[in-house]
Amino acid sequence: MNTTSIDFQAFIEWDNSPFILFSAQGKILYLNNTAEILFGYVSKKELYDIALSYAPQNFGYKTTSLALNYDSFIFHAITIGYENEEQISLRLYSTPRIKPSRKIETDKLIVTDINILLEANIALFRTKNTNPLTLLTDQDLPPFKMDQNNFSKLLRKIFDTFRASDSIDISLKLLVGQHVIIENKKESIIQLAIHANGRYADTDNEIRTLSAENQIKSILNEHSIKLEIPLIQ
Amino acid sequence: METFFTTSEKIQHIIKSFNLTKTLYVSSIIIGEAHTGKKSLARYLFPNAILVSGFDQIEVENALETHDELIITDFEKLSNQSTLDFSNKRIIATANYMGNPALIDELFAFIYSMPSLQERPGDVDFLKELYIKEALSTLMIEENTFESDEIHLNLSKNSKSLKKSVFLHLVKHSMDEKDIKGVLYHYLFKHLDGNDGYREHLGLYEIPLIEAGLKKFASQLQLSQVLGINRNTLRKKIHEHHID
Repeated sequence: MNTTSIDFQAFIEWDNSPFILFSAQGKILYLNNTAEILFGYVSKKELYDIALSYAPQNFGYKTTSLALNYDSFIFHAITIGYENEEQISLRLYSTPRIKPSRKIETDKLIVTDINILLEANIALFRTKNTNPLTLLTDQDLPPFKMDQNNFSKLLRKIFDTFRASDSIDISLKLLVGQHVIIENKKESIIQLAIHANGRYADTDNEIRTLSAENQIKSILNEHSIKLEIPLIQ
Repeated sequence: METFFTTSEKIQHIIKSFNLTKTLYVSSIIIGEAHTGKKSLARYLFPNAILVSGFDQIEVENALETHDELIITDFEKLSNQSTLDFSNKRIIATANYMGNPALIDELFAFIYSMPSLQERPGDVDFLKELYIKEALSTLMIEENTFESDEIHLNLSKNSKSLKKSVFLHLVKHSMDEKDIKGVLYHYLFKHLDGNDGYREHLGLYEIPLIEAGLKKFASQLQLSQVLGINRNTLRKKIHEHHID
């Protein structure tokens, strides 16, 4: 029998899936690195409530398949466990991201000012809708390489999902300190975020496909769409 | 340089969007009823672009191979749209209707819909004045003696029917007795037949006579005096020609 005591804390600490230990009062006793980032997008109470709802009836551990979505975090299952009345643990399983198999041909892309395409798409949207719309952009964003036609198509589809929204807020900014590796080159990321009081979701799958084709990460929510666009130079 | 006049807010947004994307390699399509100015708009925005018609698939395909900037009119007439490759090209297409929406959505980044003249009262006024000037000079009418408000504008076929209604109105107003007789001569020469010709064609004279008279003199009694016929005869004729 192995009598050596092993400290597993570091393994949990650096696990890619979030792990949280709550007290019986819902206070956080411990959380790993990933969970710390997750709390930027979801409240403590919400996760505690989930832990209580899916907890096993008796002492022990129970895993439930469950689709959860917090901003860019996507989970497919959770494990809740408790061995005493004082502590309850919650582990969320991150859904692996599918790496796009289509290789990007950067030499076929054209250097473009994204602000021009954005303005043109707003004008196109205006030909069909009269909803109030605000745009907060950074005019100093450097031009970068893109497939102009495909990217315009993506913008059109995204704007269309807001065709009946009351107020639409669009913002475009550089995500400082975040990078993505494309063809072994480190590229900056800009974020296009569109928020409204609601939107249609009928073309979400097309938006996801088009985004993937353009090497763009898309985050689609009930009220908003966010794109993380690589600044390919 | 060609100009394009419009007071329509919708079209001004279309122009703005085109002006922004003028230098980009994107494909756009303008869809709208016939004779709403789609081709003129494309020409105005891209005066130097090659223009090909969708009636000729081969011509379009050849032009796509040799040019980066292209206007394709009557896009809906192309026999095979799915084989076209628009990548890294500046395409401006016009179409009278959508055809296959999924394919249009796949091919074009910018899909504009051109409002009909019915939705553009400001543009109708502008075109009317333009056509009146054109008609006056074409028909060589020196003095314009009519009220332009009197023209019955037909917008069913947009600018085409609008132009026709302006020209017809001016033609009618510039005719003298000799012209009217000439018109009637040609009409009667073509249609006179059978054994009751006199009665059948009497309406050509009597209907406009009575209609104009009733409008001008308000009462049948007064009109019968002006015409110098019995009131009962007038009543009978009104009934015969189904006037009122």
